[in-house]
Amino acid sequence: MTEYLIRRLLQSILVLFLVSVAAFGLMHAAPGGPTQMMISPGLSPETAAIQKHNLGLDKPVPTQYVIWLKNMLKGDMGYTFKNNVPVGDVIWPAVKNTLVLMSFSWVLSLIIAIPWGIYNSTREYGLSDQTANFVTYIGFAMPTFWFGIILQEFFSLKMDWLPLSDMYSMDKQGNVGDLFMHLILPSTVLVLVNLAGYVKYSRSSMLEVLEQDYIRTARAKGVPERKVIFRHALRNALIPIITVLGMDLASLVAGATLTENVFNWPGMGRLFVDMARSREYSVLMAITMITAVAVVLGNLIADILYKLVDPRVQIGRKGGKA
Amino acid sequence: MSDMNAATAPNVQPAEPMAPENAPLPPSKKPPGPWKLVWQKFSHNPYAMTGLVVLLIFVLVAIFAKQVAPFDPAKVDMMNSNLKPGSGKHLLGTDELGRDIFSRLVYSSRISLMVGFSVAIIAVFLGSLIGAISGYFGGWVDTIFMRLIDVMISLPGLFINILVMAIFGTKMIYLILILALTSWTGVARLVRGQFLQLREMQYVEAARATGVSSWGIIFRHLLRNASFPIIVNATLMVGGAILSESGLSYLGLGIQMPQTSWGIMLSNSQEFMLINPMLAVYPGLCILIVVLAVNFIGDGIRDALDPRQKKSRRRLAKWRKNFSKSGI
Repeated sequence: MTEYLIRRLLQSILVLFLVSVAAFGLMHAAPGGPTQMMISPGLSPETAAIQKHNLGLDKPVPTQYVIWLKNMLKGDMGYTFKNNVPVGDVIWPAVKNTLVLMSFSWVLSLIIAIPWGIYNSTREYGLSDQTANFVTYIGFAMPTFWFGIILQEFFSLKMDWLPLSDMYSMDKQGNVGDLFMHLILPSTVLVLVNLAGYVKYSRSSMLEVLEQDYIRTARAKGVPERKVIFRHALRNALIPIITVLGMDLASLVAGATLTENVFNWPGMGRLFVDMARSREYSVLMAITMITAVAVVLGNLIADILYKLVDPRVQIGRKGGKA
Repeated sequence: MSDMNAATAPNVQPAEPMAPENAPLPPSKKPPGPWKLVWQKFSHNPYAMTGLVVLLIFVLVAIFAKQVAPFDPAKVDMMNSNLKPGSGKHLLGTDELGRDIFSRLVYSSRISLMVGFSVAIIAVFLGSLIGAISGYFGGWVDTIFMRLIDVMISLPGLFINILVMAIFGTKMIYLILILALTSWTGVARLVRGQFLQLREMQYVEAARATGVSSWGIIFRHLLRNASFPIIVNATLMVGGAILSESGLSYLGLGIQMPQTSWGIMLSNSQEFMLINPMLAVYPGLCILIVVLAVNFIGDGIRDALDPRQKKSRRRLAKWRKNFSKSGI
């Protein structure tokens, strides 16, 4: 297990390193690149050269990368171009807001999806199963942000039941009840999107287990059906579900870009789009790295959980997900 | 596989005249090819056929947009802005600038479908090529490509799209290329997996023994045998690309203004939803219908390729029912 963990960790670090190189290269390959953004066009060539030197932009790109990497490892993510604010001050509040929205809707969708999927697996092609199928098809074929807009139009503008957008009302910053009201619409959108995948996944995972010989054995020796489902089948069906959840952990941090933009939620997704539009390279690099760390870490956790939960999986197995 | 079909086909469609594949074929006649078999099953799937018809209608509308659209989609007419559906010759009314909504929808289908199909074609081409090379040659080539894929998928696709579109500028060609570049990884993994299995087949050995080059084996023999799963993946990718395009255009990082797409119409609609809430409904519905149609087609092909899974499940469900009824 230790050997496996070390190998996976090294692999993850390699991937993260490559991501950082690729992202850094991409941003410097852009027409104009950071230089154009950082140096005001009105400056005389001499002043521009001095400022370039001060910002370290006159050094070759690989050197700049090494400097960036050193600072990043020390926890210094740099400063924004506009207003010269530390990048951390911009990012961490957004991470917090995204965590609120995403964890709320994620937990909600799990509470609905897993029992629903299990129920559907016991009554295949029944009404509930067909409904889930319908939801899945619609959920996968619909632009999520469109669903958000429609919800806004109906519940906020027409009925005036729920707030249109933002995280808090103007005069109620930090009020939990107000936050909850603002959470309803965006999480409805996110829950529908999540449901589309999770219900189908837990259903088919359960069905696969129900076809196994040991389930037939359990039935044959007279174990009550309820016990067969919850004791024998569910425990094994949860294994693949857990791994999928691990992979989705990343979205808790990375956020739902489109939904956050529709509902003006001050999270990572919206920050990212804003920063991308204004080309704040240091913030973009920081968000890229945070997202990549979250994804890689999520996959790692999924793999480890998979091995912990299922003793049949050999620890030293080669490859993993490669 | 083939005797499996022969055994189960009569049970499924008893009303159908004997399908040619389970009648004893006269030795002179050529047996139906795999494409024909798939088409036979596909054409009996009502969802898939509906999807196909709907998609064809949209494609035709996109091609003949000039003839279908009653107005110029870009013509601004402030005198007739925000008309209700059905007023004058405006079938669905006009938007905030007096542009005919129906005509804009028609012209938007051009961009959306073009982006969808070109992304799928480029991504499938790239993915198959890389997956094939990776799976066939293995070794360090495989390692390099797989690490590349690891790097690609450690960031969400939409994330990379936004980054690139914002930094490099919003041009249609960039949009198509970056969407393709972020969606080939799935196909590459699929093809690689298929090739790992297929390259051990005896016909590959036979081909190699008769002196066929590696590229000949990859393109003539292996890719043809892996073509069906690739097609399923490609179909589903069309829908994904249409959705991504609409999302990026909504954020203002996709198609740009004089051109029109369903995503742009949606992003306009949010500003004017107090005045005309229906503005948001139409383009979203168009996206939903097209993507649904494409997904139905993809699922139809998949089911036609592998009918076993569903049937065994059905049988199992029936068996379980009988089992519990008999009161054991």
